[in-house]
Amino acid sequence: MLELVEITPPKKVGIIPCNGEELPEGTLTRFACRKVLDQIKPNNTVTICLPLFINNGKEERGFVENFPTITVDGCDKRCGQKITEKLGGKKPEHSIVITDLLKEHGINAPGSARTLVDMDQQAIDLVAGEIAKKVDEIISKPNDGGK
Amino acid sequence: MANKTTVVLPCSGIGKPYGEIGRQSTYTLMEDLCPGKVTTTCLAKLMIGDPDAVELVKNNPVITLDGCAQDCARKNVESAGKKPDRAVRVINTFKHHRDLKPTGILDLGEPGRKLVEILASDLALEIDCPAKKEGSADA
Amino acid sequence: MSETGYMEFNYDKFAFRVKEYYLYHQDECWVKQEENGLVTVGITDYMQKTGGDVAFVELLEAGAAVKQGGEMGSMETIKTTMTLVAPVSGVIKEVNGALEDEPQQINQDPYGSGWIYKIEPADLAGAKQALMDAKTYFPLMEEKIKNEMTK
Repeated sequence: MLELVEITPPKKVGIIPCNGEELPEGTLTRFACRKVLDQIKPNNTVTICLPLFINNGKEERGFVENFPTITVDGCDKRCGQKITEKLGGKKPEHSIVITDLLKEHGINAPGSARTLVDMDQQAIDLVAGEIAKKVDEIISKPNDGGK
Repeated sequence: MANKTTVVLPCSGIGKPYGEIGRQSTYTLMEDLCPGKVTTTCLAKLMIGDPDAVELVKNNPVITLDGCAQDCARKNVESAGKKPDRAVRVINTFKHHRDLKPTGILDLGEPGRKLVEILASDLALEIDCPAKKEGSADA
Repeated sequence: MSETGYMEFNYDKFAFRVKEYYLYHQDECWVKQEENGLVTVGITDYMQKTGGDVAFVELLEAGAAVKQGGEMGSMETIKTTMTLVAPVSGVIKEVNGALEDEPQQINQDPYGSGWIYKIEPADLAGAKQALMDAKTYFPLMEEKIKNEMTK
């Protein structure tokens, strides 16, 4: 006898990097977020383009209003988190601050905002791993843990 | 734009390569072509009303670099109360150099890096810190 | 009828729109019937979204004849070069000149200001045999998107 199995689409989480241009940690947000999107959690994540989100991008705003998000900020000014709360109407499920995370793990920040080099890979992996961990926490919630 | 620091603000869009091209062009200007004459600040920091970012933008000429026709950097800066002195769409540089198609979003590849150099050089001339351009006389 | 005149399919953060009351060709172009007997044609939201930001368009001139299913020009995006397929046979009466300087109108408003040609159709009734209404096209677009996104 055939057993009917409900196929549900994968749950989605929006990753919002601050993209800060001034600090190397801002560049790190970009690399870590793309790594999560392209390699680690391609079926469960989307990246939200922060400038487009601020600019009233319909798709960015619609997603943030309806799906859980994780903000990834380069420093404790927490621009991504603040903007998400103000314009998205709700707090992100998780807020990652890279300066705090690197300090906690004793990893040095990249030396340049312009480009990341091989020795920065450890920092990229750490941040990407943390984001992926938070994604898993969200999508494993029993109800409305990601739509 | 003489005697002031020009503030270059890229959109840094993460969905398309032209966001990264704008960002890299900004760093090229700051570090290679116009050190001391060009600076940047985080667009997001400006948008949360950070006093330092607001003051910088208010008191200096501003160039925005947008990766696409959404013009997020330009519009964000305008909503912060400043009309950019120049609003650049990176794709317009590509239109004059069709062979230089970036190969990735963050890793631009050789063609993308060449496009960065061209855009930065063009802007350096406007900012009055002339860059050496192949085939043209030194300013 | 929706309030906006569009049917919308959401996948991730992307919203793919289909304009109601237009007709659609399988090669991702649309037809709008005008009161003066001409038709306006363009490409679908699906095509512009998957194609990328348009940098250049190479279009035919007014007076040129097109054949349904044949080429009516090309567009080069930041990703690739795509052929534009004619959804009807006929003669081009007007070309959207704004696309020369602002080809990204196709991305910004594919069903409105991003129109490509106004065509005098040779046999619109016959052409409609190969065209779909919005309700028929919509699930086909949905299927394409799901297949594309799960690759």
